[in-house]
Amino acid sequence: MDVGQILANGIVLGALYACIAVGFSLVWGVLNVINMLHGSFIILGGYLTYFAWAYSGINPVVFLPVVALILYGLGFAVQYLFINKVVSAPVLTTLTLTFGLDMILYNVMTVVFTATPRRITLDLGSVDFFGVILPVDRVVGMALALILTGLLYAVMRTSKIGRAIVAVRMDRQAAELMGIRVNRIYAITFGIGALMAGAAGAVFAMVFPVTTNLTGAFLGKAFVICVIGGLGSVPGALVGGLALGIIESFSGYVLGPQHAITVGFVLMLILLVVRPTGLVGVKGYE
Amino acid sequence: MAEPLLEIEKLEAGYGDVQVLWDVTMAVEPGEIACIVGSNGAGKTTLLRTISGLIKPRGGTIRFAGGEIGGRAPDHVLGGGIAHVPEGRRLFKGLSVRDNLMLGAYLRDDREAIEADLEKVLELFPILKDRARQDATTLSGGEQQMCAIGRGIMARPKLLMIDELSLGLAPRLVDRLGEALIEINRTGLTILLVEQDVMTAFEIARHAYVIETGRVSMAGSTKVLGDDPRIRQAYMGL
Repeated sequence: MDVGQILANGIVLGALYACIAVGFSLVWGVLNVINMLHGSFIILGGYLTYFAWAYSGINPVVFLPVVALILYGLGFAVQYLFINKVVSAPVLTTLTLTFGLDMILYNVMTVVFTATPRRITLDLGSVDFFGVILPVDRVVGMALALILTGLLYAVMRTSKIGRAIVAVRMDRQAAELMGIRVNRIYAITFGIGALMAGAAGAVFAMVFPVTTNLTGAFLGKAFVICVIGGLGSVPGALVGGLALGIIESFSGYVLGPQHAITVGFVLMLILLVVRPTGLVGVKGYE
Repeated sequence: MAEPLLEIEKLEAGYGDVQVLWDVTMAVEPGEIACIVGSNGAGKTTLLRTISGLIKPRGGTIRFAGGEIGGRAPDHVLGGGIAHVPEGRRLFKGLSVRDNLMLGAYLRDDREAIEADLEKVLELFPILKDRARQDATTLSGGEQQMCAIGRGIMARPKLLMIDELSLGLAPRLVDRLGEALIEINRTGLTILLVEQDVMTAFEIARHAYVIETGRVSMAGSTKVLGDDPRIRQAYMGL
């Protein structure tokens, strides 16, 4: 297999990874909450899209915004009803809370959907691009993932809500003096994190099979990507996601696919020692 | 005499087990510049934080424009017309000067009027126009204070409270900021200034309250207080 093909596979995977991690990174950066629910949110988005497609036969892209909105509502409610009560507690408290909520969601999903791997099959064929062969559904998935990530970036940079989220992240009390209701911004931020997870899951289900057994793996990926790219910024998640995708693709080819995940985690450990702020991150939560 | 814009009576406030403010009574007339002076740790900042709703009062009343605002959340107080420029500027890192200014108008929906106010602020402090796209926390101290004051004005308040205008700034810059405040005041905005530097405060303000260990120890016009030997000795080093 030539380098171009491996690189292309890595970029496709990396774009999906970026989309998976960006919501996790936002929540971690702004709320200082490590959201253990993130993996389950992704799978929930994937399952909802799959079943909507399986029962209706309509193109799954149509369901993506609907699924994203459902996940936004779920995320908003979880933050507003539960996490906001303990949000200023040390990170271990919120971690334990989201871990417990994740066990509930994970088990409910397993009961309702079963753990059978499900995948939306679009049968779009593949394209040959200068000798690099790419299945069209993967290209569509990559494009959707990049569009979603870009949309989030635009919202954060140019909208009033985006400004308010950054303000809350940087200085909670000064944000209050601007009339910003911090708990509401927290709920919106968590909602956006869940929305991005759900949308990423919907895209993922069009490319790879989804099953509840994958929630932990997705959470792990999001974690690694945040450390590699840097916390709390969209470009950080994008760089981290692409880096992990390409590294996994190459190391999978050289060392065998069973070692690709190990390489990712080893890289995370090295970066934690050498450059704890990540490739494009800023220090701390200031 | 006109009814005061801000009227505080027997206010008590503090943090946890520590009570900072004791029986504070004061008033700010509409259209004036008033100041609160006192040494470090006297409770000036706590007083502003209680007015703006960051701390809940333990007793007493805060009336603003005829309504009780004591214990209201910060967004209520700001929406009612009191903007608070906090000590140390507290501009938002990672956001441009323009974005910082726009955050001052967070509670407003009148898009066109916001743009017009933004223009006014940039006219008042032209240097901010050149720096509009720059990260606000990379500005010099004086420019940051201008941005913080501008951010307060963007809320279109009836009362602008400024905590430590002169802190860490060169005297020339403080003079420049004082002139700007007088200019803003002429447009009808009432200003409450909190200062450790009594000389500066008395040059700008008409009325003054002196706070010592959480209590109002003296009050009156700055002309009279400026000649008071106790003030001259304790705060002006004369």
